[in-house]
Amino acid sequence: MNFPVIEALHIEKSYLMGYSILPVLNGVEIRVERGEFVAIMGPSGSGKSTLLHILGCLDRPDTGSYHIEGHNVLSATDSELSKIRATQIGFVFQSFNLLSALNVFENVRLPFSYSRIEKGEARDRVENAIAKVGLTHRIKHRPAELSGGELQRAAIARALVIEPKIILADEPTGNLDSKTGIEIMNLFQKLHHEGATIIMISHNHQIANHAQRVIELMDGRIINK
Amino acid sequence: MIAEIVEAIKIASRSLMQHKLRSGLSVLGVVCGVMAVLAMIAVGEGTKEKTLKQIGELGIRNIFVKAVSLSDEQVQIARELLSEGLRFYDRERILSVVPDVEDIACLKEVRAAVISAVNIEFSPQIIACSANYASIQRLHISEGRFLNNQDIEGNQLVCAIGGDVAHKLGINGQIGKFLRIENELFKIVGILDRFYRDQEAITTMAIRNVNEMVLIPLGAENLLTKREEVQNIQSLTELIVLIKSAEKVFRAGEVIKRTLDLSHNGVKDYQIIIPLELLRQAQRTQRIFNLVLGAIATISLLVGGIGIMNIMLASVSERTKEIGIRRALGATRMDIILQFLAEAFMMTLMGGCIGIITGIANAFIISKVAGWKTSVTFPAIFLPLVMSVCVGLFFGLYPAVKAAKMDPIKALRTE
Ligand SMILES: Nc1ncnc2c1ncn2[C@@H]1O[C@H](COP(=O)(O)OP(=O)(O)OP(=O)(O)O)[C@@H](O)[C@H]1O
Ligand SMILES: [Mg+2]
Repeated sequence: MNFPVIEALHIEKSYLMGYSILPVLNGVEIRVERGEFVAIMGPSGSGKSTLLHILGCLDRPDTGSYHIEGHNVLSATDSELSKIRATQIGFVFQSFNLLSALNVFENVRLPFSYSRIEKGEARDRVENAIAKVGLTHRIKHRPAELSGGELQRAAIARALVIEPKIILADEPTGNLDSKTGIEIMNLFQKLHHEGATIIMISHNHQIANHAQRVIELMDGRIINK
Repeated sequence: MIAEIVEAIKIASRSLMQHKLRSGLSVLGVVCGVMAVLAMIAVGEGTKEKTLKQIGELGIRNIFVKAVSLSDEQVQIARELLSEGLRFYDRERILSVVPDVEDIACLKEVRAAVISAVNIEFSPQIIACSANYASIQRLHISEGRFLNNQDIEGNQLVCAIGGDVAHKLGINGQIGKFLRIENELFKIVGILDRFYRDQEAITTMAIRNVNEMVLIPLGAENLLTKREEVQNIQSLTELIVLIKSAEKVFRAGEVIKRTLDLSHNGVKDYQIIIPLELLRQAQRTQRIFNLVLGAIATISLLVGGIGIMNIMLASVSERTKEIGIRRALGATRMDIILQFLAEAFMMTLMGGCIGIITGIANAFIISKVAGWKTSVTFPAIFLPLVMSVCVGLFFGLYPAVKAAKMDPIKALRTE
């Protein structure tokens, strides 16, 4: 009964470019236990983002198997995958990906547009998530009225709000200066200590060292576990 | 599903509020389409109501046989063919030959003048009629009684007068007073209800204006006409044949025509008017009008719809990134479809509502300026509204599906 949160085996993915096939992932194996904080490193173009999208149920591998807490994800339909994203996965992006027309509160509330939840409870959870990332004083601000660090905090609050099984972060500090980057890492570590499962992509050794465990991706393979 | 739709409407209304001017401009086509459709239906319904009312007043179970005045030349031919025009004898023929006849009223226009102390220019039409004229033409008596069979058999000098006539005569126009026609005094026994027919109906449909009539018993007119005209004693101006039921009117009309053709030896000194036939004609015309209207409506709403589709396509490509983000946060394809469909739907609904308001104003202006009767009925409002909403859903569907089909990763990667 004690399944790992994530168990992906023999993941292969290639893209068709014109007449040639471009292999990106060649049999990636990755297992993440509950409460782990894992960093994925690797050179640019090594397929880190592609892997993260597969783990986040945004994309499907060509072959391989993928289970979240023992549930076979690859047999799910498109709308079932949407449901998994809405309830179990929190994404944090390098470029924040907040909607510019909405303020912080509304941005953080966004995932609840796609999962059934009672209105009052939704508001409480949104406020809690915003408080957790320390943005309560900016709750009515639009993205254009926030600093880079604040934007990423808002994005993390949005990922947290659904209390996901996994938080997936694709270079969350890539657009931030090093000081702000460290602040964000401290926030991740806080979440990790509170029991969150986090998979984070990074280029930067210093950043990746905040994680419990570092996985290297090279030429579509994991080279050390 | 309901919750999803509500959510989609919330998201869509937000995005519309963000681009007020753009949304407003893009529904302009729908507004114009709805406005035009509504105004045209209102005008169409107005004319329809009017013609139906006019024809209805003639009575759909009636068949009118009217004497036609002939030119001198035609009179000569008629004499040779031994036709004597419309006569009392025709009534007897129709009664005995034509099936399903319930009753026949006879009318004769009398060329005589009312001599009145009040007003020299006062010249009501004098009609000699049978007693059943009132019931067949559904005339209402406001005071006294209508002419009856005793009046006719006894050659009584009595009359029933129209509402306007009574009004103009003043105190001399009351029951029991005498009305002088030529050299005879007629006792007023009844006054007809004054009822308003529009002047147009009277001229275009040749409906008699009972308000301005003096009705005397058939036969009494002989006292008023000069000796040399007495040979026409049997002639009539009009027969109104009441048929037992509306379904039998056309067949009866055929038989009447054949009967009269035979007895008049083919001389066309009479004319048969069947109100039901006029009604059918009016309905046919109406159907053609509706068809043209429908075509114009379709075209204008099509143009409006293309405008909506255009703006929705622009909106989808502009918001590719947003679609990617929403998909990553758990929106299903259906959620995305609903979001954009709701946007198109609300735009056209809004356009429809604005169009209805301006359309009603338009219909009102048309009736004031052009003097046409317009009638803003339920279908005049409902039909264009439904059509505009359908246009919104139809033309919004393609952009919405396009948005939903996007690969979320590609959408996320766009800048
Ligand atoms: N839709 C696509 N079609 C074709 N090739 C693609 C597509 N998406 C990604 N690739 C290719 O797959 C490879 C891996 O891309 P990916 O984004 O996963 O790299 P990455 O490791 O995240 O790089 P970076 O560190 O620069 O973000 C790249 O060489 C890229 O060109
Ligand atoms: Mg990447």
